Amino acid sequence: MRKRNRVTTVLTILAITGSLLAACSNNNSSTNNSAAANNGGKNTTTNETPATNNSTNTNTNTSTPDPNAPVDGGSLTVGTFSDIVSINPLYIQDTSSGDVSTFVNANLFDMDRQGNVTAEPWSLAAEAPTVSADGLTYTVKLKPEAKWSDGQPVSADDIKFTFDTVKNPESGSPGISAFDKVESVTKVDDKTVTIKLKQIYAPFQYSLVSSLAPYHVLKDVALKDLAKDPFGSDPTKTVTNGPWKWTKWERGQYLTFEADPNYWGSQKPHIQTLTYKIYADQNTEMQALLKGDIDFTSAVPLPTLDTVKGKDNMGVILAPGPQYEYLEFNFDGANFPGKYDLFQGQKTRQAIATALNRQGMVDNILKGTGTLMNAPFLPNSWAAPGDAAVNYAYDAEKAKTMLAEDGWKPGKDGILEKDGHRFSFELQYNAGNSRREQVAAVIQQNLKDVGIEVTPKAIDFASWIDQNVTPGKFQALLLAWVLNTPDPDAESTFSSKYFTPAGQNNGWYKNTKLDDLWVKGYSTVDQNERKSIYQEVAKEISTDLPYVFLYQYGSPMAFDKNKVHFSDTDKPESSLSYGYFFHLINWWVTPAN
Amino acid sequence: MIEYFVRRLLQSVLVLFFITVLTFLLIHAAPGGPRQIYLSPGLSQEAMAVQAHNLGLDRPLPLQFVSWIGDLLKGDLGYTFKNHIPVGEIIWPTIGHTMVLMGSAWLLSLLIAIPWGIYNSTVEYSLSDQTASFVAYLGFAMPTFWFGIILQELFALKWNLLPLSDMWTMGSEGNIGNLIYHLVLPVSVLTLGFLAGYSKYSRSSMLEVLDRDYIRTARAKGLNERRVIFRHGLRNALIPIITLLGLDLPILVAGAALTESVFNWPGMGRLFVQNAVSREYSVLMAVTLITAVFVIAGNLLADILYALVDPRVRLDRKGGSAT
Repeated sequence: MRKRNRVTTVLTILAITGSLLAACSNNNSSTNNSAAANNGGKNTTTNETPATNNSTNTNTNTSTPDPNAPVDGGSLTVGTFSDIVSINPLYIQDTSSGDVSTFVNANLFDMDRQGNVTAEPWSLAAEAPTVSADGLTYTVKLKPEAKWSDGQPVSADDIKFTFDTVKNPESGSPGISAFDKVESVTKVDDKTVTIKLKQIYAPFQYSLVSSLAPYHVLKDVALKDLAKDPFGSDPTKTVTNGPWKWTKWERGQYLTFEADPNYWGSQKPHIQTLTYKIYADQNTEMQALLKGDIDFTSAVPLPTLDTVKGKDNMGVILAPGPQYEYLEFNFDGANFPGKYDLFQGQKTRQAIATALNRQGMVDNILKGTGTLMNAPFLPNSWAAPGDAAVNYAYDAEKAKTMLAEDGWKPGKDGILEKDGHRFSFELQYNAGNSRREQVAAVIQQNLKDVGIEVTPKAIDFASWIDQNVTPGKFQALLLAWVLNTPDPDAESTFSSKYFTPAGQNNGWYKNTKLDDLWVKGYSTVDQNERKSIYQEVAKEISTDLPYVFLYQYGSPMAFDKNKVHFSDTDKPESSLSYGYFFHLINWWVTPAN
Repeated sequence: MIEYFVRRLLQSVLVLFFITVLTFLLIHAAPGGPRQIYLSPGLSQEAMAVQAHNLGLDRPLPLQFVSWIGDLLKGDLGYTFKNHIPVGEIIWPTIGHTMVLMGSAWLLSLLIAIPWGIYNSTVEYSLSDQTASFVAYLGFAMPTFWFGIILQELFALKWNLLPLSDMWTMGSEGNIGNLIYHLVLPVSVLTLGFLAGYSKYSRSSMLEVLDRDYIRTARAKGLNERRVIFRHGLRNALIPIITLLGLDLPILVAGAALTESVFNWPGMGRLFVQNAVSREYSVLMAVTLITAVFVIAGNLLADILYALVDPRVRLDRKGGSAT
């Protein structure tokens, strides 16, 4: 009997496979609230059975909650596809640890939507940092009521300890480069510190958007053992100072957080329980989102976007994140046959930019999650260059003319030549990145149209970084920069003082005018003056083109809009790092029935 | 007999040693090996040197190998480089999870496959037999993860009858009913995969035996068919099946990386995939090693069982004194 049934099932499955994929994209008939039912409220021991599943299977359209009336309680389950490493603020480096840190660690300062440094009600600092007239000394004052989850006050010692430790190479903290300009950190009183810099360095303000490590817990740990300390990996030994506290880490599976009843802030979080649920990969995570096992995800892969949009209860936020993609040229002749750098002519580089249909890439490949870029500054940040940067509109004919003006002539096979050198190069990118794969194909086609031969080459990420990207051994490549702070300073990427491996200038690009401008840009703390300097940078860099700047891009966020709510001022801000949890403390969820 | 066991055991230990050397070398030779990976890219050269020293990565490779093996012999699988968690603490629970999943599927498939295969050997080319063939081809041909996704689409997303993924509902860890509920889909997928091999194997093994002279003798003696099949046929037919089971033993532990990933089952297969992605080599080395131990143990066990069940094996290998 059993075997007969099994066989029938298999046959049935085979029969419907064909119509399956079409069916699943408009499968809205049975909207499912099982996650809400299972994790609802404080009762974390609810047992899921088919019966409760069916009973929560009601029409979700009947009760639209008033979006202006936050309620306290309930739970939010966030999906991800990699586990955390540690939430010790000294060692946070990966996205998952950073995500979780926003739940449990308050920042000294926070950022507003435009990326300005401010003291929010949930920031540890009482007021915005003050900078001395010479631009060298920053004074930071803590809120008197700020406390750790063990009841100890957050004090000047914590700031001094955190910054001194990060600064010390012995601790191995990845944040060290942000603090190499710091001369000293001085405790003025229990709630005040001054930080003295060696030189004026405006981007330092963003180093203050940082969480703190508790001095009273870690003071006796030797610096070299800090990374091994259970603080940050054992919930019971991790003292925090944010709105939620860490209650559980089921390794590789999930983490849970509860609103801290002793949280010091005048403004308390609405959501009672946060769960950070780990899936094996993005596809599994998306299935869970569609099923309702998770309520929120910060990254929907583009191929799944239409399916997610097709579900009635899904809210989707399409906006690019703090990252941009570029086509990088190598200026070291040693990487080319005959030691002849094909990209040495400025006009040649401009012609390449003109030959590329960048808007087409944004429209067709990024599906609305991208914005065209002409300079290394995000279009929505305070340093956005606007029209100061040169925009190369797609025009193949014009590109051909420019190439001819720069001395390139079609050879026998139609590929351009100059002084006996064929305009043919290899474009590297990392294997498995479907976006770059598509963009590389567009670049190949676009440049073929103007007589340049491109050979796209996909390489495994780890070996690529190791053997090509870091040592600067490539002809051209396709890669992206993720900007951790909204500060426009990019000296270490473009200045000839920062050739790899000392910096990230791995294309051996040298432009002395820009070298000086970058220094000028960070050597004043006057925001308006900086703006105008970066306009100049934008103009120069978009004329000289060490890169062809392609676009700012990002991943769509998705959430169950019947359950997760935020007012307009508290909605996620894609352009900030971790901006998908922007003002999470003010969000609320519809409690489970 | 004892000499044979000892010889096989020594061989196994030697193979295991070579595997540890290989594992270690491969991982340290990988592009962007431990040095680059454990160290933060933002660090200066000086800070990197300090870190490498703290992690013991600046010692010569043979020395690192000796200390790794030394710890290993003490049962210490080492610590993750990224957050200094004992690797054992991470791996042992996942082995348990994998065994629950794979063990269920394996047992279920044996319970179905062996009786079914035996029955089919007596009713060759019947409807039951042909169905079994069809199921076997399906099981061989269909990628298990793909079958898993189809089941998820239907039973979890479309009809909402079963959970989509995971081992427990969060907060219900330890609840057996909840576990079984979560086992249904992944076990179905894996069972189909196992079923294919085992049912074909037991059928053909039985058919071969049923053709033998001693079966004909038994029948000629006038024994009833049931007795012929079970007393005389089955016992001999089971010998090759036992070998197969021994060889399959490691699967119980190593898990099915793809199926575990599709169903987000917190087992060792999924752990390996996750750590391959995040390049936590200490965990990868340990998983590879544990899997190797089970492969070797499985082989050893199969050989020994074979020798025990079928006396000819042992005699043959001892020098052909069999008649």
